Amino acid sequence: MELLNHSRFTQQELPACKPILTPALVMATFIVIGITFIPIGLSHLSASENVVELVDQYDEVCIPADSPDPDVVYSKRIGYIQDETTDKTCIRTLIVPKKMKQPIFVYYQLDQFYQNHRRYVKSRNDEQYRDPSASAKTTNCEPEAQLSEGQPIVPCGLIAWSLFNDTYTLSRNDVALPINKKGIAWESDRTHKFGDNVYSKNFQNRSLIGGGKLIDNIPLNQQEDLLVWMRTAALPNFRKLYGRIETDLEVNEIIKVVIQNNYNTYSFNGKKKLVISTTTWIGGKNDFLGMVYIIVGGVCLLIALVFITVYLIKPRPLGDPSYLSWNKNPASVQ
Amino acid sequence: MKRYVYINDDNLAKDIYCDNRISNRKYTILNFLPKNLWEQFSRFMNQYFLLIACLQLWSLITPVNPASTWGPLILIFAVSSSKEAWDDYNRYLLDKKANEKEIWIVRQGIRKLIQAQDICIGNIVWLRENDEVPCDLLLLGTADPQGFCYVETAALDGETDLKTRSIPSACMGIDVDLLHKIKGVIECPSPNKDIRRFDANMRLFPPFLDNDIFPLTIKNTLLQSCYLRNTEWACGVAVYTGNQTKLGMCRGIAEPKLTAVDAMIDKLTGAVFVFQIVVVIVLGIAGNVFKDKQGRKLWYVQYPKEGPWYELLVIPLRFELLCSIMIPISIKVSLDLAKSLYAKFIDWDVEMVDPETGIRSNAANQAISEDLGQVEYILTDKTGTLTENKMIFKRCCISGRFYGNESGDALTAKVGQFHTRHYPKMKKPLYVLLLVCAWFWRIKTEIFLILTSMHLQCNMKYLTLWSSHLTGKECLWWLGNAKAGNFSSCQKEQMKLFFLLPILIVSGQQVRTFAEAVEQYAQMGLRTLCLAWRKLEEDEYQEWTSMFKEANSTLVDRERRVAEVCQRLERDFEILGVAAIEDRLQEGVPETIEILRKAGINFWMLTGDKMSTAIQIALSCNFVSPEPKGQILIIDGKTEDEVCRSLDRVLLTTRITESESKQDVAFVVDGWALEIALKHYRKPFTELAILSRTAICCRVTPSQKAQLVELLKLCDYRTLAIGDGGNDVRMIQQADIGVGISGREGLQAARAADYSIGKFRFLKRLILVHGRYSYNRTAFLSQYSFYKSFLICFIQIFFSFISGVSGTSLFNTVSLMAYNVFYTSVPVLFSVLDKDLSERTVMQHPQILFDCQSGRLLNPSTFAGWFGRSLFHAIVVFVITIHSYAFEKSVMEEVAMVAVSGCIWLQAFVVALETNSFTIFQHLAIWGNLVGFYAINWIVSSIPTSGMYTIMFRLCEQPSYWITMILIVATGMCPVLALKYLRYTYRPSRINLLQQSERLGGPILSSGIIEPKSRSSLDKDIPTDSVYEPLLSESPSATRRSAGPTQRLDSVQSQSPPHSTHTRKDN
Repeated sequence: MELLNHSRFTQQELPACKPILTPALVMATFIVIGITFIPIGLSHLSASENVVELVDQYDEVCIPADSPDPDVVYSKRIGYIQDETTDKTCIRTLIVPKKMKQPIFVYYQLDQFYQNHRRYVKSRNDEQYRDPSASAKTTNCEPEAQLSEGQPIVPCGLIAWSLFNDTYTLSRNDVALPINKKGIAWESDRTHKFGDNVYSKNFQNRSLIGGGKLIDNIPLNQQEDLLVWMRTAALPNFRKLYGRIETDLEVNEIIKVVIQNNYNTYSFNGKKKLVISTTTWIGGKNDFLGMVYIIVGGVCLLIALVFITVYLIKPRPLGDPSYLSWNKNPASVQ
Repeated sequence: MKRYVYINDDNLAKDIYCDNRISNRKYTILNFLPKNLWEQFSRFMNQYFLLIACLQLWSLITPVNPASTWGPLILIFAVSSSKEAWDDYNRYLLDKKANEKEIWIVRQGIRKLIQAQDICIGNIVWLRENDEVPCDLLLLGTADPQGFCYVETAALDGETDLKTRSIPSACMGIDVDLLHKIKGVIECPSPNKDIRRFDANMRLFPPFLDNDIFPLTIKNTLLQSCYLRNTEWACGVAVYTGNQTKLGMCRGIAEPKLTAVDAMIDKLTGAVFVFQIVVVIVLGIAGNVFKDKQGRKLWYVQYPKEGPWYELLVIPLRFELLCSIMIPISIKVSLDLAKSLYAKFIDWDVEMVDPETGIRSNAANQAISEDLGQVEYILTDKTGTLTENKMIFKRCCISGRFYGNESGDALTAKVGQFHTRHYPKMKKPLYVLLLVCAWFWRIKTEIFLILTSMHLQCNMKYLTLWSSHLTGKECLWWLGNAKAGNFSSCQKEQMKLFFLLPILIVSGQQVRTFAEAVEQYAQMGLRTLCLAWRKLEEDEYQEWTSMFKEANSTLVDRERRVAEVCQRLERDFEILGVAAIEDRLQEGVPETIEILRKAGINFWMLTGDKMSTAIQIALSCNFVSPEPKGQILIIDGKTEDEVCRSLDRVLLTTRITESESKQDVAFVVDGWALEIALKHYRKPFTELAILSRTAICCRVTPSQKAQLVELLKLCDYRTLAIGDGGNDVRMIQQADIGVGISGREGLQAARAADYSIGKFRFLKRLILVHGRYSYNRTAFLSQYSFYKSFLICFIQIFFSFISGVSGTSLFNTVSLMAYNVFYTSVPVLFSVLDKDLSERTVMQHPQILFDCQSGRLLNPSTFAGWFGRSLFHAIVVFVITIHSYAFEKSVMEEVAMVAVSGCIWLQAFVVALETNSFTIFQHLAIWGNLVGFYAINWIVSSIPTSGMYTIMFRLCEQPSYWITMILIVATGMCPVLALKYLRYTYRPSRINLLQQSERLGGPILSSGIIEPKSRSSLDKDIPTDSVYEPLLSESPSATRRSAGPTQRLDSVQSQSPPHSTHTRKDN
């Protein structure tokens, strides 16, 4: 009891810092934000500018479309892409706009592809991918869980089933430009998320074939395209790493890309793009952060300026008791 | 309904009446779970959460692991169930102890030791000194030859002084041994809860007195849970047992009180629920449309061609689950924790410890502290609440001479000396009478001083002996309300009887002086007492005694008949004098009332006293300003017409003065007029009650007090009733907040109350400090809880638009659960230590309480502000996250963690910006929470099997993660800060103004202190536009009713608009 009586906590008398929003404090805050944000924004923008990026949308051009009627085009395209026998090779040429230093990253970009769709994003079973003895565990994987006879599909689930399967072969001046596909997946995925003795089984063996196939005698964790694909994207437009080019590309070099246009984005009018890009400390090209930094910094400076102006024109003493409404007695004012 | 108790009959009663097993338990082992769950689920919030939790079990629609709802839900339920179970178990142990206590009873004429629970109706129970009474007993015999015994009734009514009980006259003189064999029948009412009445009678069978019915009263009983004191032994017959005793019947579970804040939160929750349903329906429709238009084309999703019948419902239900976090599950836990801390602060407060007795203030009801800050009406008792209830014999008027002046000591001596000299004949009856009265009024010592100074043959021993005899019925009986001075008593001594009654009955020349004296004394705020006497002859006395006895033994309407009989005796008195007794005001009462009235609280005084005394006390307590500012209007009249006319007149005057608003109007009404007004003119009286800030109700009964509370509550005012005595209990229980003063009239009121304090003056601290802080803190805590839930929920909603409106959750289960339970709850919990203004400032500017009363800090418009803020912040977090983590970075887990971190950073700064005073705890909670967030996520990220493996490490390595965080904070907080600053500087609220003046060390002045000169010079510098608008009307806040005192003040104050300054300037 004695302790309670004398405790500053119980008496609610703990020493406290009671800051208030004085004009000086607020203005200083805004000025500091403005002054620091604009340089950060500028450096971010310049880093983004330094990224050399080659984007080629090839879904439209790599497919025959010879009808003015969009419905006909649509069904023709689907027929084309779903026909396994057709040769879907498509050749694109790209010009390097600026010198690109290695490592250069090759991505594929899909637009309007909902990897975050609820039916899709949940349709996986990490335990099965990790543990060779858990191959029968296909919970959540419906409808790509098992064959009609009941054998489990490894890897199960819609995500694996819809594996992206376009391929790119690059060449420069008729010399093949090798794309290194090792180490494109996260290391943690290779070591922990996917087992090194889990092999695909019954994959793409149902009547309905989704995307790419896997090689049955290579462990899952070495088929890095799958690992990359299985890192689902949060946004409907996303890029995934395809591989790395480990030589520099000079300006105005012409790059020939041979695309095997296998993947169906036509039924939902999605786009496919090939992206070849360098990176800097901010990663790939992204002007957004730099722009917003500059805008926020600028607005903060503007706000500070307005506040200072207002303060100079209409100074108002803080804490003037005569503003208290009960002190504003009409009788005493007059 | 009557009950017949056959004394000492073992066989008869057993079957008819219950045994003496006491049970206070609410549950048994078997029914605990269902009953407790049923009780918990009768609340809407819990039903809602249960529904959500059940829906989550359906894996088709659940966005996250069901654990995210089941976990907290089970935790909340487990906590409150185990609390209930623990309480019940303790009650069970107490019951068991009482039930198994060994008690001596008589069975078949032999004394036996049995357990208390086996006592039957009709058993004779023997008690020794300091024994607890096991059931309600009718006293049959005691060790005292006169048939008295003493009991302590503290457990029953809280009064600690010993009460005298006597055996019925029928049992007088029965030998101790014969008591074992006594037989008879007692006719008594069915079990009831009235602990002040026991209207029964008794007939003893031969060989004892036969065929004579003896009346019994409460004076002949020993009630359960009382203690036998100062008496060697006593025995009695059990009349009520088990849970049917008076105590058992009184026991009841009080209705839980709901504070205005709780009601507002419930309302807002309801609104949020509706909003949620709308969102769910809209998103559900959008989801189904998207599914049909686009979703079926997404081959990789494999929508089946034919869905089950409930297919259309799946998407809306998913969104329902996704949006269920909109109503924060943590709010109840947070609020409960906060509330119990508020209560503890009240208990701990050393400034509310009564220095005389060392009694601490106590918050018996932990749940209603916020209401203290929203009190609008205080209904107070007078005696013992405002006054000390210490009667001091101040003045007297004997034979037309006035004695006494300001100091009581002089009086004692003077009266003594003077009177012995001049009126030797008069002295004895007068002082004997005074003594009789004094005994009631508990001023023994005072009178004793007089007596000794008079050299009467009366010493301390005699006095004590005598006063104990006075309790016996033979010597004295008294009726009516002793407090009000309206009582008559008689005392038989050497065949002489003295009578005492109000003087107004007597007429004649001599009376006038006394009437004047009474008037004069009453005006001084003293309690007056007229002393008169008459000599009775022996036969007259005998005749009257038998009548009285008869009246006293009626079962029906006993009080009225006794009163009638007594009136027969009360005539032809000779007036001896008038005595005036002062009941001094408690320390600090006028100041407290003044401060609380300044704070906009309306005071009603409800007293049993006479009108003039009440008015006098009211004036001295600052209830009403003295003339000419104050105006007292009296409603009186004996008939309906008179009351009606009077009421109309008062109402008219009040309306006029209210519109002019310069005056302070109080109305005074007495119990009789009040009865009529409440019965027939309820509407005008209600209007008057709303208009008038002050009321004095005199000569009111306890039930009228409760009626008045009810009346104000019906007008939707927050009422606080404060009292100290048993007559205030009903009012205290009725009011929104009951405050009891642990005073001289026992603890009865304090026990029934939600708060008990030692002195009236602590009320201002209770309301202005504890109530106000509690309200402010809860207002922030609750709205913040909604803010953070909205924040995360909006992000989920936005995300659904880029995930094909399919109801995907962006966040994983762990993050969602930890976000609600941990990350966002911990920092804000320490806002219970926040103090917007120092206690000193609040005391100097009690007007600041207006803000709490009108609910300015928690209402739909402030809530809308928080809603808007959460929407804005959600947009900021979402847009920045998806743009900075676009393309190759848009990995689900990473984006989710960036968004969560953005929310955590923002909320830390929001709490920091809204905190008025940072103690070490706040810093620890706010910034420590951020550290905790990263620590927890790093731990989770290092578990290989978790879905988040390595995510947080990867993010923290990226500069763009930190750049994004800084951007989110800056973009989210800069507009908030700018707006807050503008408001703070150019349209400050009253709280802001006081904060500024308090913290910048500026002059803290109230209107009274400010010199007009300095003010006018200030005025000139002040721009006359928006700045000078009445600050009270800055937000459309007082939403709870159409016309209240605060709004009235608003309109009053808005009469001091800018143009007044203009005109002066033009001059």
